[in-house]
Amino acid sequence: MVSLTINGRVVQANKGEMLLSVTRREGIDIPALCHHDAVEPFGACRLCMVEITKAEWDGWTNYVAACLYPVEDGLIVQTHSSKVNELRRTVLDLLLARCPNSPEIRQLAAEYGVTQTAYEEIPDADNCILCGLCTRVCERLGFKAISTVGRGHDKVVAPPLKEAPPDCVGCLSCAQVCPTNVIQYEDEGNKRTIWNKSFELIACKECGKQTITRDFAEALSSQRNIPEDYFELCDECHRRELSVKMGSIVSWSREAAS
Amino acid sequence: MRIETPQQLTRLRKDCLARFNRHPQKIHVCCGPGCLANGAQKVSDELKKVIKKKRLKGFSVDALKETGCHGFCEQGPLVVVEPAGTFYTRVKVKDVEEIIDKTIRRKEVLERLLFTDPQTGEKIENYRDIPFYARQQRIALRNIGQISQCDIDEYIAVDGYQALAKALKKMSPQDVIDEVTTSGLRGRGGAGFPAGRKWSTCARADDSPHYVICNGDEGDPGAFMDRAIMEGDPHSVIEGMIIAAYAVGAHEGYIYVREEYPLAVVNLQKAIEQAHEYGLLGDGILSSDFSFDVHVSRGGGAFVCGESSALMKSIAGEVGEPRAKYVRSVLKGLHDKPTVLNNVESYANVPVIIDKGGKWFSAIGTKKSTGAKAFSLVGKVRNTGLIEVPMGTTLREIIYDIGGGIQNDRPFKAVQTGGPSGGCLPESKLDLPVDFDTLTEAGSMMGSGGMIVLDDHTCVVDLAKYFLAFLVDESCGKCVPCREGLYQLYGLAVAISEGRGTEADLDKMEKLSDTIVISSLCGLGKSGPNPFLSTIRYFRDEYLAHIRDKKCPAGVCRELIRYEVDPQKCDGCMACITACAQNAITGKKKEVHTIDQDACDKCGACLAVCKRDAILVL
Amino acid sequence: MNHDLDKLPEIYERYPRTPQSLIAVLQDIQKEFHFLPTEALKRTAEELNVPLSKVFSVSTFYNAFSLHPRGEKIIRVCVGTTCHIRGAKQIQEQLENHLKIKAGETTEDKKFTLEVVACVGACAMAPVVAVDETYHGGVTVASCRKLVKKSKKGKKS
Repeated sequence: MVSLTINGRVVQANKGEMLLSVTRREGIDIPALCHHDAVEPFGACRLCMVEITKAEWDGWTNYVAACLYPVEDGLIVQTHSSKVNELRRTVLDLLLARCPNSPEIRQLAAEYGVTQTAYEEIPDADNCILCGLCTRVCERLGFKAISTVGRGHDKVVAPPLKEAPPDCVGCLSCAQVCPTNVIQYEDEGNKRTIWNKSFELIACKECGKQTITRDFAEALSSQRNIPEDYFELCDECHRRELSVKMGSIVSWSREAAS
Repeated sequence: MRIETPQQLTRLRKDCLARFNRHPQKIHVCCGPGCLANGAQKVSDELKKVIKKKRLKGFSVDALKETGCHGFCEQGPLVVVEPAGTFYTRVKVKDVEEIIDKTIRRKEVLERLLFTDPQTGEKIENYRDIPFYARQQRIALRNIGQISQCDIDEYIAVDGYQALAKALKKMSPQDVIDEVTTSGLRGRGGAGFPAGRKWSTCARADDSPHYVICNGDEGDPGAFMDRAIMEGDPHSVIEGMIIAAYAVGAHEGYIYVREEYPLAVVNLQKAIEQAHEYGLLGDGILSSDFSFDVHVSRGGGAFVCGESSALMKSIAGEVGEPRAKYVRSVLKGLHDKPTVLNNVESYANVPVIIDKGGKWFSAIGTKKSTGAKAFSLVGKVRNTGLIEVPMGTTLREIIYDIGGGIQNDRPFKAVQTGGPSGGCLPESKLDLPVDFDTLTEAGSMMGSGGMIVLDDHTCVVDLAKYFLAFLVDESCGKCVPCREGLYQLYGLAVAISEGRGTEADLDKMEKLSDTIVISSLCGLGKSGPNPFLSTIRYFRDEYLAHIRDKKCPAGVCRELIRYEVDPQKCDGCMACITACAQNAITGKKKEVHTIDQDACDKCGACLAVCKRDAILVL
Repeated sequence: MNHDLDKLPEIYERYPRTPQSLIAVLQDIQKEFHFLPTEALKRTAEELNVPLSKVFSVSTFYNAFSLHPRGEKIIRVCVGTTCHIRGAKQIQEQLENHLKIKAGETTEDKKFTLEVVACVGACAMAPVVAVDETYHGGVTVASCRKLVKKSKKGKKS
């Protein structure tokens, strides 16, 4: 265990833990748009910058991304000093210039006092902030269907060759993890379309509700040794089936006891 | 042939030296990039042809050496006749026959090909007496221009691989680290981190394997020192790497070479093969139990890959996006293993340090920046070329004594060091000693060693805009402050250069720069605003002239200038009319020409071609 | 498009078939075809066992790679700092005029591609133009025309 001071309060943390996870546990609200517990910290949005110092640093301070900074004993952290807020404000201002139409960015920027960007708005802006969560989640799941393309200011997230991605299974993880809801998909009848690729949705054998795509189901059964027929039921019907089973076990054991 | 023992190496050295000095006279043809661009290959081929044809006694084609960059590129193609050091400049194919007939056969000097000292008007025969060379001290560049580009025997003849033999046989890995620490060698790539400390941390790291990497991704535009070393003396880099690997316990290394340097790749690969043949790379080097191998990894063409974590990703075949380095790459580098990364020039210094001792090295230069530093001295300076001077030499000595002052005797305006991450220093800083800390304090940085001299025809707003455009293009795009911030900073610089800027924009730029510097993820972003910050610090007036007066004092920013023909000087030669792509210039032969301001796109082609100085920039 | 993809297996033989070889393999393909044909990207993904998305990501990240066919000859204008302050922009514009294309484009007859490059490391001879691997130093507005003419006459390199 290490002991550190955050905003004047002494806090205990595990060695090797990242600063952001400690502040979150402590209930301190630090914005972080590129962070998700399912994937490795990335340090791209820079909104979780905090001010750090140590008693022995002679008044010298440093600014670090909390998502990537491993806690140390004796660390003194300010999460909302005026300088930190100013850095966040400028970064949000830049994001607002990039995504002027994103409600999520507008709201967060407003929380830091930016309602109108001071910078030139990017022409033909979409709402992607290039946090890379979609590509990283896709990679983490083992599909690696999409990636960043190009570099610098022209970088975008796209499937390979900008065609329907051959490795996509239509799991929607990318769309669900997106902090600005950019990734569009459509479920219609038993058909799902995402990244210009269509997938067949499996209908629950019991209730007929659409569950996951056939490709995702096949990938999961082969990757994780899940029986193929598992996906023939939706989650709800699985639970119902389980509860019926549990119920019969309970009544059976009662009978046995009496 | 494998060299098994240091004794064998010593014997081989003797043989090589005898062969190296077999001819009483030798011809060195500089085949560095500058001379090649001026036709050195043709000169060399002609020399070979003529030597064969003439069949001189005691002089064969073997006495001709195609060397790496000799340094004085401005005067190329260079041909040097050794050992006299007779220095022929701007040699053309038609001069070749005479060089052989007179200088080789009759030991006569060809006056007309000699260098003329612009100060005294005197012809200087031996290049060692030319101020450009006389003021230098060459350590990393010691062999370049002196030996054939890629010949291990010649490298051995000039004491090559002796330091390796010494390290392996007489020193423990800790001894090597101690020697490098004593030398005070700091990384020549720009940041100036002490090499000894880096090696020591890596050597002590528990995780294994350890790697040794050479950063040959010389990305700073305007710098070519590392290129010259990799092409002209690849063995010095390889020897330095083997010694480093021995010190830190690595068995595998990589040299990451910039995409734009194909010859460096070829020469390094050749050198690696030669070293393998001699058993200086591979298993059981010089019969010790130390094994090491090195691979050349070609970069893909991305400036950001000069950043250590991006470089390591690129070697691993991935996109070169940096990662945050709260855990340093010396502990978690290539494939997340402990890794020593130094640049080309740093490694080239290592054999000398081991050979002559750390104390010898630390006696050169200043207390905190020891040794010498290579620079590419370029831009509006008279003597452009590749130089190496002791740390602590002043900018003035470099630019005026070695560089011979400003081209066409124009006023000095600034010197740009450190590439896109560095900055511009004005005349008031000319007496600063060049070392890592002084340059940083002055708002620039050492960088890898590009030194670009600017005269009054260079606009600092345009230069800041240029570097920002470069960085916007080269940003990897991962973190917001660098990707979006530099883009916005560039946009604001463009507005100023076009006369659309306001003084409030300058405040905005300074505030934005502050955020980019503090919050960017890697060094590219953190230093990205420097081209703006250093120019606004020293040349605020020039920015204000663009903003308030809508004028570009240097006559560069197109939206703020116009070209006109000076009727007093124009002789109606029609050169500008031919050069103008917009057909904006009219006039007849021998009559004064006129420029149609509406059609003119201010490209400056007329100014560039006019031999009468008749184009005015207003 | 008819590219001789039969040359690919030989390229794959040069390197270990691991993801680490990706950039080296793509460079060799680029050298062979002057660009990266789509089919070659797909084959490379399979051969090196790298996801296609990563192959695409890498091939669009680095300057060395082009996804579009380029001309027989590549004329590169160095726009490094030294070349910039010695008039590289003018040289670029002159070449654009003579070739009737913009930087980054290829002539209709597929003979030339004009590119700008950040620095070729021959700064002492600025401004520099490279025609394939041959460097020309001290290029002037006036000498651009000659350079293009000469390059047109020269054999396919």
